[in-house]
Amino acid sequence: MGLVVLALVFVGCFGPSKTAESPARAAATAAQAPAAPSAGEYVGAETCKGCHEEAFNRFSHTKMGRLFLKQPRNSVERLACETCHGPGKAHVDQGGGGPGKDPKLITFAKNDRTPLDQRNQVCLTCHTKGARVFWRGSPHEARDVACTNCHTVMADHSPKAQLAKASEIETCGTCHLERRAQQMRSSHMPLREGKMTCTSCHNPHGTVTPALLRENSLNDNCYACHTEKRGPFLWEHAPVLESCANCHDPHGSNHEKMLKVAKPRLCQQCHIETRHPTNPYGRDTASQKFVLGKACSSCHVNVHGSNHPSGFAFTR
Amino acid sequence: MKLARTFGAVVVGLAVLAIAKPAAAQFTLGGMSVEGEVEAGLRLLPDRPSGADRGKFEEYRDFTQGPFLQGLQLRIFRPDESYSASFAGAKWGQQDQEFALRAGRLGLWEFGFDWDQTPHLFSTSARMLATQTVPNIFTLPTPRPALSIYNGGRRLDDVSVRWDTGRLSFVLTPTPDLELRAEYTRIKKDGERPFGMAFSSPGGNFMEILEPVDQTVHDFRLKLSFVRENWQLQAGYTFSAFENAFSSVSADNPCLGLPAAITAAPPGCGADATGAQPSGLTSLPPSNQAHSINIAGGINLPYRTRVTGNFGYSLRLQDEPFLAHTVNAALAGSPLLVLPQRSLNGVVGTALVNANVTSRPIQPLTLTLKYRMFNLSDKSDEPIFAGHVVNDRTLVDEPRTSPRFGYTKHNLDLDGRWKFGQPLAVTVGGGWERWDRVDHREAPRSDEVFGKAAVDLTPWEWLAARLTYRPSFRRIAEYNTFAHHEHTVLEEETSAQLVQGQSTLLRKFDEADRDRQRIDLLLQFFPLDTLTASITGSWKFDDYLHSPLGLQEATNWSAGFDLGWTPVERVSFTAGYVHELIFQKQLSRSRTVVGADTLDFIDFNWLSNNIDTVDTFHLGAKIALIPGRLDWNVGMNYSTATGQILTRNPNGAPSSGTAAQNLTASAKRMPAFDDTLVRVDSALRYHLSKAWTLGMAYAFERFTKHDWRTDTLNPFLPGVTSSIWLGNDARDYTAHVVAVTLGYRFK
Repeated sequence: MGLVVLALVFVGCFGPSKTAESPARAAATAAQAPAAPSAGEYVGAETCKGCHEEAFNRFSHTKMGRLFLKQPRNSVERLACETCHGPGKAHVDQGGGGPGKDPKLITFAKNDRTPLDQRNQVCLTCHTKGARVFWRGSPHEARDVACTNCHTVMADHSPKAQLAKASEIETCGTCHLERRAQQMRSSHMPLREGKMTCTSCHNPHGTVTPALLRENSLNDNCYACHTEKRGPFLWEHAPVLESCANCHDPHGSNHEKMLKVAKPRLCQQCHIETRHPTNPYGRDTASQKFVLGKACSSCHVNVHGSNHPSGFAFTR
Repeated sequence: MKLARTFGAVVVGLAVLAIAKPAAAQFTLGGMSVEGEVEAGLRLLPDRPSGADRGKFEEYRDFTQGPFLQGLQLRIFRPDESYSASFAGAKWGQQDQEFALRAGRLGLWEFGFDWDQTPHLFSTSARMLATQTVPNIFTLPTPRPALSIYNGGRRLDDVSVRWDTGRLSFVLTPTPDLELRAEYTRIKKDGERPFGMAFSSPGGNFMEILEPVDQTVHDFRLKLSFVRENWQLQAGYTFSAFENAFSSVSADNPCLGLPAAITAAPPGCGADATGAQPSGLTSLPPSNQAHSINIAGGINLPYRTRVTGNFGYSLRLQDEPFLAHTVNAALAGSPLLVLPQRSLNGVVGTALVNANVTSRPIQPLTLTLKYRMFNLSDKSDEPIFAGHVVNDRTLVDEPRTSPRFGYTKHNLDLDGRWKFGQPLAVTVGGGWERWDRVDHREAPRSDEVFGKAAVDLTPWEWLAARLTYRPSFRRIAEYNTFAHHEHTVLEEETSAQLVQGQSTLLRKFDEADRDRQRIDLLLQFFPLDTLTASITGSWKFDDYLHSPLGLQEATNWSAGFDLGWTPVERVSFTAGYVHELIFQKQLSRSRTVVGADTLDFIDFNWLSNNIDTVDTFHLGAKIALIPGRLDWNVGMNYSTATGQILTRNPNGAPSSGTAAQNLTASAKRMPAFDDTLVRVDSALRYHLSKAWTLGMAYAFERFTKHDWRTDTLNPFLPGVTSSIWLGNDARDYTAHVVAVTLGYRFK
């Protein structure tokens, strides 16, 4: 399958393409040719600044603003405001006005008329590298999420990535309310302390892994930091090898170690061997050894895998 | 020392201010423009958690009193923005300090260096009698003290591991369509964390000690991206290495030579005192490495079709020398314990193939096809061990081999989405997931099919709604309870011995037939430009319909709302609430062994309903009390969780065994446990001038919990035989924090 895809890429490389272009892309492409007939449709950033000075000034302090306005690398970037908004001459000729007055102008506010696909395509004209290769067909794209739902191009509201809100958690939490709430649970990763963010594990632009995880599998994602659990071990605990999420909820839990269920019940869901694993422990004295403190893990310390020759029960 | 470092950092910050001159805007220095901001101040904790209570308060942060650096940003750049360098940092001198450096040519290259420290404080209330001559050897006095003496052990102020993460990165973009990225990350983990050591037969005596942590993670990544208008290609290589300075930890056995009833209030060490060995030794995670390659690409085709694909292969390696079977000198010489080989020669390969096709052949229709295959193949050796030692105590003559697990997981997902104009889109689809496991897993193959339907509704500009329904049905081909055991234990076992293993009635939840229903709802309202509201709800129900024992069903549901209102430009409010309920029902059976016989009585069944309920609120406001002069931010978070484990015998009181057996099989009460966190943050910020800002902040935090499993835990509990805990507990705390800051901005 991978080879087929690579072959398609090869064909795409050298074959003709009739991919539909967004107006901005078409405009940008046209602008790359000096003699393009539509070049006269552009008015230049200084003209935009004449009416939109405040927005212009805010934009000029962003990374994209600095690049477009001061260090453009090509004729597309040199168009500055019109790189994204399209040619502005008609807009200027009619004396400005709201987006409704000039339907050709590409605008990005929530209820603007520019179709969502077209808005996103403007961004994808340049931003297809790296993390965004798998945007098309990704869950967010499929649910009509616009780039500008999460990012604000015209101003820096966040330290990184020009997010619409001050932090990633706030940005993602706009829709993922439950996930945002989970970080407040007593057993959690250091998100609310600002030491991790949603994108420490997820790539919201699309990935090859369910739940938009950054690495090739859920476990690979966890191993990126928790490499000590990667093994391979002499004695593997099979469900651990298949998915960390069999036992853990990484978004937060009210049980220690972000476990999905309190011990010893969690372990007892799969261990119905004879003797001590099978007893219905409670608060009584006889149970305490198996319930208090770390419960099962008081003895089964290497539950993620053991490299000890006598460690098949993960106690060594 | 820490205070001095923090003070030094603040002095540096103020020095920057001095250089900056009293100007509100950026300034020029040697032909370079300089801009930035710095905020530093003094933090006081008039009501501070005591040393033993601060464990949860400072779980991932350093909240000490004194001067602190809230944040610093400095950017030096050429007036034409061609070259620039920036420096940022916060919390200098503290355990959780961080800083970042960037330098580059705009649009061409960028060098980055990041440093972050994250403490993870596990406990400040642990007590321990054992001493450490070296970090991984825990020694007890000889003769051993009575178990009650352990409650007077020294308090361990700080059981924690600090992660120091350094990252170097370099990105080169020679043309807008070509990017080379190199990144090296080093994570150093240093400290210790609670760990157990068993000394007896299964279920016997143990002692909690500390795992010494001196681990280093190296992660080196190279990535190349090349894009054209209609196709993109990227390739990457990752090398990851884990180094553990400690391969083992050992501890003395508190029951060595200790009479069973040495304590005034028995049980002392009970049966575990008989034949107790001097000490035990446990392995720690072995050093390992992984190499990974990834090739990914995407191509745009006619009919607005896009094909993306990915191929990845990873090799995980581990070849650390085995430890000896035991440190018990009385057993170590046994010929049964001769190691068959020096190390595992561990080699695991994982392969990922992924292909997605998305097409919009006509305007309203979007078709998506996704296929994913992930294979894990364990090519490690399968050494045969003639015997083993249970917890350094009991020699067992039973040849075993270490099974290697592998699996292949296929996912196929197909859907179509039709947009009925702007207001309505309907998605219908389905898919399939297969697990092919090695035949020594209980269920070597499972197939799960699912359907999905989603409706996106935007009838008016002020409403966006999405409703998703996804039913799925997983079926296994067969379930062999003894598959793992038969592969691992090499000698022929009698049926009675086999029955002592897993119950044949058990279906493990990850390998069981399951029907799942899932519904998700998201409503977003934008009635005014100044008002947004979201309502969310989700419900998931898992029915493990062919599991006589094991997990029977699981239900998760949540509902919540979020509100944002900005009535005027200088005032904004936020509010939100989420209620979550997580329910699991599991059925098990108490299975006692008498001689060679296993008691498998149906009235020994027990059923447990595990219920977690969590409520989370947040409120916030940002108000410009005096526009352009005085700002006020206030936020409140409240989260409360309750856990219940309700266990009962569904077939009446156990009666088929002896009185003692019946008692063992009788469901015991497990009281509920709960925790609550309240946080209030309030900050006033007064803009003295365009450049200078004076800030005053107040924060309140209260954490309370009731958990009988840890609330009164002592290292030794008189009623419990032969076990010694650290006695640590995440204790309640209340904290009031007051801070005054001075900020300077020159941009």
